[in-house]
Amino acid sequence: MVGPMYDCLANPLGAIRLTFEKAVGSGCEPSAFDGKDWGALDVFREFLVDQGNLSQVPVLNSETLKWVQPNTLVRFRGMVQDMLGNEFYAGAYKDGSGWRTNKFGDDSQQPIDSSPDVRVWERRLLYCVPVPGLNTWAESEAASEATVTSMDLTSQQRDKRQRMDAESMDYEGSNIVLEDSPSAKRMREDGHPSLSVQLSDLKPEGPCSSTMMRPEVGDSPSCLVKVYDTRESELKLNDIFEFVGVFTIESEPVPADDGDDIDLTTGFRNDLVHLVPCLHCIVHRKLAVSDFLRSSPIIEQSKHVVMNTRESLLRHLTMLLGNDGVAANYMLLHLLSKIHARVDNVAVGKLSLNLTCLSKEALSVFGVQLCNALRNLLPFTDSIPLTVNYLNTACLGPKKDYQRNRLIGGTLQLAEGSHLTIDETQLETGTLNSVGIENARLLKDLVELQKVEYDFTYYKMEMAADVQLLVLSEGKSNILPADIVLPVRPSDVSRPEVVSAEALGAWRWYLATMRTLSHTIESEIQEVVEKDLVAARQADRRIGSKEFSSLLTMGRLMSLSFGETTLSLEHWEMVKELEKLRKERIN
Amino acid sequence: MASDSSPARFNNTPSSPDDSAFSSPIGDTISSPAAGTSRRNKRGRGRSAATPPNNHPRFAGSESTPTPLHHGGRPPTPSSTSEGAPSSEAGDDMDEAAPTFVWGTNISVQEVKSAIQMFLKNFRDAQSQGAEIYEDGKYMKAIHRVLEIEGEWLDVDAHDVFDYNPELYGKMVRYPLEVLAIFDIVLMDMVSQINPLFEKHVQVRIFNLKGSTTMRNLNPSDIEKMVSLKGMVIRCSAIIPEIREATFRCLVCGYFSDPIVVDRGRISEPTLCLKQECQAKNSMTLVHNRCRFADKQIVRLQETPDEIPEGGTPHTVSLLMHDKLVDAGKPGDRVEVTGIYRAMSVRLGPTQRTVKSLFKTYIDCLHIKKTDKSRMVAEDAMEIDSSTQKHDEDVEFDEAKLSKLPDIYDRLTRSLAPNIWELDDVKRGLLCQLFGGNALKLPSGASFRGDINILLVGDPGTSKSQLLQYIHKLSPRGIYTSGRGSSAVGLTAYVSRDPETKETVLESGALVLSDRGICCIDEFDKMSENARSMLHEVMEQQTVSIAKAGIIATLNARTSVLACANPIGSRYNPRLSVIDNIHLPPTLLSRFDLIYLILDKADEQTDKHLARHIVSLHFEDPELAQQDVLDIATLTAYLSYARNHINPQLSDEAAEELTRGYVEMRRRGNFPGSSKKVITATPRQIESLIRISEALARIRFSETVEKHDVTEAFRLLEVAMQQSATDHATGTIDMDLITTGVSASERMRRENLVISTRNIIMEKLQLGGPSMRLLEILEELKKQSSAFEVHLHDLRNAIATLQTEGVVAVHGDNVKRV
Repeated sequence: MVGPMYDCLANPLGAIRLTFEKAVGSGCEPSAFDGKDWGALDVFREFLVDQGNLSQVPVLNSETLKWVQPNTLVRFRGMVQDMLGNEFYAGAYKDGSGWRTNKFGDDSQQPIDSSPDVRVWERRLLYCVPVPGLNTWAESEAASEATVTSMDLTSQQRDKRQRMDAESMDYEGSNIVLEDSPSAKRMREDGHPSLSVQLSDLKPEGPCSSTMMRPEVGDSPSCLVKVYDTRESELKLNDIFEFVGVFTIESEPVPADDGDDIDLTTGFRNDLVHLVPCLHCIVHRKLAVSDFLRSSPIIEQSKHVVMNTRESLLRHLTMLLGNDGVAANYMLLHLLSKIHARVDNVAVGKLSLNLTCLSKEALSVFGVQLCNALRNLLPFTDSIPLTVNYLNTACLGPKKDYQRNRLIGGTLQLAEGSHLTIDETQLETGTLNSVGIENARLLKDLVELQKVEYDFTYYKMEMAADVQLLVLSEGKSNILPADIVLPVRPSDVSRPEVVSAEALGAWRWYLATMRTLSHTIESEIQEVVEKDLVAARQADRRIGSKEFSSLLTMGRLMSLSFGETTLSLEHWEMVKELEKLRKERIN
Repeated sequence: MASDSSPARFNNTPSSPDDSAFSSPIGDTISSPAAGTSRRNKRGRGRSAATPPNNHPRFAGSESTPTPLHHGGRPPTPSSTSEGAPSSEAGDDMDEAAPTFVWGTNISVQEVKSAIQMFLKNFRDAQSQGAEIYEDGKYMKAIHRVLEIEGEWLDVDAHDVFDYNPELYGKMVRYPLEVLAIFDIVLMDMVSQINPLFEKHVQVRIFNLKGSTTMRNLNPSDIEKMVSLKGMVIRCSAIIPEIREATFRCLVCGYFSDPIVVDRGRISEPTLCLKQECQAKNSMTLVHNRCRFADKQIVRLQETPDEIPEGGTPHTVSLLMHDKLVDAGKPGDRVEVTGIYRAMSVRLGPTQRTVKSLFKTYIDCLHIKKTDKSRMVAEDAMEIDSSTQKHDEDVEFDEAKLSKLPDIYDRLTRSLAPNIWELDDVKRGLLCQLFGGNALKLPSGASFRGDINILLVGDPGTSKSQLLQYIHKLSPRGIYTSGRGSSAVGLTAYVSRDPETKETVLESGALVLSDRGICCIDEFDKMSENARSMLHEVMEQQTVSIAKAGIIATLNARTSVLACANPIGSRYNPRLSVIDNIHLPPTLLSRFDLIYLILDKADEQTDKHLARHIVSLHFEDPELAQQDVLDIATLTAYLSYARNHINPQLSDEAAEELTRGYVEMRRRGNFPGSSKKVITATPRQIESLIRISEALARIRFSETVEKHDVTEAFRLLEVAMQQSATDHATGTIDMDLITTGVSASERMRRENLVISTRNIIMEKLQLGGPSMRLLEILEELKKQSSAFEVHLHDLRNAIATLQTEGVVAVHGDNVKRV
């Protein structure tokens, strides 16, 4: 079906071994392949990319897991949740007279004795989970993705748009009309209380119950990925990747390294063997948000189309926020924000938004609406109901469990570009215990510095995050110092409109694409901006570098929202106008 | 036996009976079927008659006593550096060639043995060479000492081995199993020569390798090599008794077998009684009391945070500890481990002989050193681990060259927190704090601290906290606390009860932990009064004394304090005096060498700078923006070198300048009309000045404090308090003065006014007589001095000054002489 000699899909190992034997046969020493490829990757790259067969490779999820045969080619989309270090394996060994390889596989048919004719190679173990907060639409689109035109090892971010075919659009449309069915239900089952759930019942949660088992309870399984011959810097924690490789089922590698278990002489093993799906990665690429979109109707990024999309999205947001145009504008900028540089402790580009003047009652009306809308717009969203009880019991920060030798992902271990809604309206007076104080501090750090502290018991490590934070509160939030505090003035409450699938697709494309645009400033505008900032500071001494920063971020985002890559005077004026309106509301 | 790899001699197929039995690291040698003394067994798995009694096998499951065979005149075969590497020889004899290669380099047992003997006998420290040539060598002395204390090991510094015989060092690192076994034999020979009756087995423990690797970089080529790495102990297993010798007893006749030694991790249980008369089958049972066990422990080591690259999680590695090394490290300890990296294949099941294609790796530990402890006693916390190691001559040279730059002071200032814009003088002060002055201890017992304490007081949003965090990052021993979250005991020391042992233990607080470092305290003003009072002792005496729960102790806390605070009422109030604004007790205030007022001034120029700075932050590549600054690594290296090597002394000229300046400062403090609200110079100030000028000299790598250092120190001190802008009459800072820079003429006018007012009052008012209205005095003044305009407002100030002098009393608008 594919190449003349290799069946990459059903028997990838065969292809790998054939190429190996060919390479060895042509006079190469196996030692030459230490940490190198002998040409197997080319075969697969040709198969997947040049012949466009990626879509034929089944995606690993709970559904496919039931029927996918071991030692076939599968793909998996997920976030690197933990790194389990390197593993040494007998990469090439001599069987009788000829060399054989074990790369990309584990099953050695014959016992490997401790002969010197074994080349020990190493591979990296990554523990990958489905992207936290992945919304159903993004998931289903990933599964049925029609075509991917290129797939390369260097895994550069590309914004690629695929053509959306008619049937999937129907599917998508039905998804929207059903409002919060699949995703919200899943959230409920997971013990991930969505906003609506929190309003009705406030069941106390056991510590970590919601977060600890997250990988296992999701729709798609977590997966142990074994990566070969890659530089360490290529795969980072919390990055989202698509892995294509050989599927096997393996016992979890955890107990193997456990203290008492390493008993060298008896080979005693822990009886508790967890079976996890395992993927021997052949090719991988980093995924950006845009990769989670299906092809969109807009191919050309014409100014006209961008403007129209912006207008309609703004209208949609205005409607969601009870006809509050100012809030909708801020919301749009907020949804486009992305960290583009880090200087010391300053994360440049973040724009966290704190919507105030929201009582419990008001939130019940459009808070849920808002959350659902966000869920439909962005691929990864999550929400935290901030109650005293939640703060005191939840595991927000990731923590290393040395018993299991596994990093336990807290709620705040999120992929780059995730959106997090924090609902503070539920917060009542109460006492925080030490866990609560720690959690509050973690949240504050995330809002201020966009960093999450990972607890390794003996020391803590800060990991950079890029999370859009939306805080909903009654007054200005004291725990979470957001960049922009905006009182919402809803004027009328409209029923949620039914959004067409085309519009939704366009918005998703718009949000995913616009935020990745690069941006510069002309020197003339720069002077104007500087002058304005100085004037603002002369007028009000309270304005400091923080306010300057958010103003500039807004300017940047404003022009990005129009699809522009340079800041124009017009957009700068718009930002100033917006800020003026906001100031008026605050005072 | 020759090294020629003749296929016939090494007829070793996987079906070889004793070979497939053990799971052993790859690259392990294959015991050849050849018998007798000519058995070529590198790992020495079997025991032959030539083996000296070795009751303490070093490595798990592998008895490491090589048969000392002499392969003199072995033709050197091409050596492959990575062990177990198949040779370039293709073909059938690959199987047999590899073990030859391990051995087949130019290592001969005899040579190595004599090299080790020479080393142990003759090695002398570099400094002791020459004069004490007739004394015993370093390690001979060590061996004697070991014998005296009946120790079980001899620590050998790998650096010494390298200095004495680099070739031996190379062999030892590449083929540790073999060389160390020979080392042990040589050592035992020497021990028995010195004291034939010495029974204990002495082992060699190598430490301090020349190169240390990181956990991340361990790769297959390191297997069976000696490695050294740093890490943190995270888990320790229970102590596992590992059987070494087993004795069996026949259940039928009660016959005791001879002790059976562990062979490749296995004990071959006799299947039938060896007693001729009995010969019962399957009757042998293990007698635990007669077996010999050794302690074994498995420890997990994890990377320390500084070795983890961005976006990675820490790696871990297993350590195998034996005998005395057991419990040498506790979870949480930072250790430096020297050992042999080994890999072991994993069996499919406990009963199966088939192995998976995976390998478990671990480090057979030879030596363990707690680095944390040594860090605590290290002379200076500013020296970071890595910089001490790479402190070669050329690095020193670099720094010396750097120090010769004419603008080094400015350059360092620029390099300090380059992203915090301006505040240059504050940065200069912080630089002085980092370099520090000389601590002085007089023979009489009095000591003067060398640490410089700095307080930053300023308006919110003036990036004080960022500065603090930057300094904290720069000084490795720093502790960062926030005043709001710190209690008095948390800062100093507290007594707690150990949950396991139920003993009361003393736990160090932040200040004690940052001994010889910098303790950064944010939100100093929000600290409780109680906690703040604990600082008094620390900041001058540099100790912490506690007496609680039966523990009376004085702990060293030679720390520089860097605190930052907001003025009272969050914002600096120009109508209040400096002291009132800071609102800290003078006792504490005077302990700070430099008190910086970071005021947010409504200055267009500075605002413009700030705006430009932030715009560039947003729109330019931040990497490009900074040039001509030193990176943090260079900065710390420079810092640690200066702190360790430069101890500047005051020159006479500088001392004179100090005296002169101090006297002038005192005079200024006594300025007529000055109230107690002005910070006057105290002897503490002169100490501060000395410290600061010493630090300034240190920045230049100069051994003498020059006059210009002192001048700069005075300038820093003045700038710090914005004293140039302080109105000494009222103690307030003249904000206009700062922004516009209008000079002392205004003050002169006020002084004149005070003088003329006093004159009028002296003239017109009688002591205890009737009072006079302010307006009347104003009229008088205007009459007297028509030259300049006098406002009621000015007069009020003048009267207020006079009031504080106790010349007049004011009731409403009425002035009365008292």
